[in-house]
Amino acid sequence: MDKALEHSFVELLEKHQNIVHKVCRLYTNNQDAHNDLFQEITIQLWKAYPKFRGDSKFSTWMYRVGLNTAITLYRKSKRNIQTQEFESVQFKIKAEPYDDTEEQQLKLMYKAVHQLNDIEKALVFLYLEDKNYNEISETLGITEVNARVKMNRVKKKLKTILNP
Amino acid sequence: MDELELLKKDWQKGEDSYPKLSYNDIYSMLLKKSSSIVKWIFIISILEFVFWLFISFGLKASGYSMEIEGMENDFGFIAIVILSYGILAYFFYRFYMNYKTINTTDNAKTLMENILKTRRTVKQYVIFNLIVLIVSTAYMMPYALNQSEESRALIETARADGELFKYYIGIVLATLLVLAVVIGVLLLFYWLIYGILLKRLKHNYTELKQLED
Repeated sequence: MDKALEHSFVELLEKHQNIVHKVCRLYTNNQDAHNDLFQEITIQLWKAYPKFRGDSKFSTWMYRVGLNTAITLYRKSKRNIQTQEFESVQFKIKAEPYDDTEEQQLKLMYKAVHQLNDIEKALVFLYLEDKNYNEISETLGITEVNARVKMNRVKKKLKTILNP
Repeated sequence: MDELELLKKDWQKGEDSYPKLSYNDIYSMLLKKSSSIVKWIFIISILEFVFWLFISFGLKASGYSMEIEGMENDFGFIAIVILSYGILAYFFYRFYMNYKTINTTDNAKTLMENILKTRRTVKQYVIFNLIVLIVSTAYMMPYALNQSEESRALIETARADGELFKYYIGIVLATLLVLAVVIGVLLLFYWLIYGILLKRLKHNYTELKQLED
């Protein structure tokens, strides 16, 4: 194994690890599953790394491999079915100033997002990461128009989940 | 949508809330084994190839086909053997090429298509083998029936009793039953393995594909 390659990869991933954590946050519901998916994404990133040419940003490249692993390659999906575990592992976000209603609303939103299917989650994830529709369409392999249409449907679906 | 904007704000605010894995934590992950479905599909496909090769070579090694007198010089039989090896080589090549095109850096839809293509090749290979099994069984049966003293004696007895037709029907039904059981077991096996492995992938692929229609 090429030590220099290994070193550069681990350093880059250490720096950008939040991207992987965020994918895991959306696609898993407990700490074990989170760690499991994190590891699988790391392995897939490492396997693909020799082909990474640096013509795209490392972080952009990570979004693609990370999402592909979560929605296509990852096998242990059974652990992700239960949603009730989610709240107990929600990441503590320091909301300042503390607003109870807002906090409550956010909790419900995160819960609603977890009820979406894999593809819808991918769209929401890229949207939350402030990716434009061009990037979303390229990551998922659909046209930009369809990405917009789908995103509107996801918004409607979230609304229905929140206000049944 | 206000709520989604609120979520976006919160999401982007939370950069410090994630666990921080150290260099060594990440490094140790590189040494772990992948549990991706591609790896499993690859392993299962190789096992399938080996299984059919084993059946084909195993039968030859035990001298089974050669025991049937005259078979080795029969044009039809030789044609079946040559054709099946040629097609086997073709399937190996296609499977390898499919596997090579699986690339995690492709977009999600292309990646899913490539994985499903690999699966499709193996499925075609299995169907091909089943057809060869059925055709060669049907082709070899008359030889097998006339080959040994015992079976010839049985035919003679059946003819003497006027039950030759019943005897042949019995043989054909018994063979069909064995083939049906073998095919049934194989189908159950594939359904169990690929049903579990590819269910989620197929579901996600359909979801993406629907958008394009």
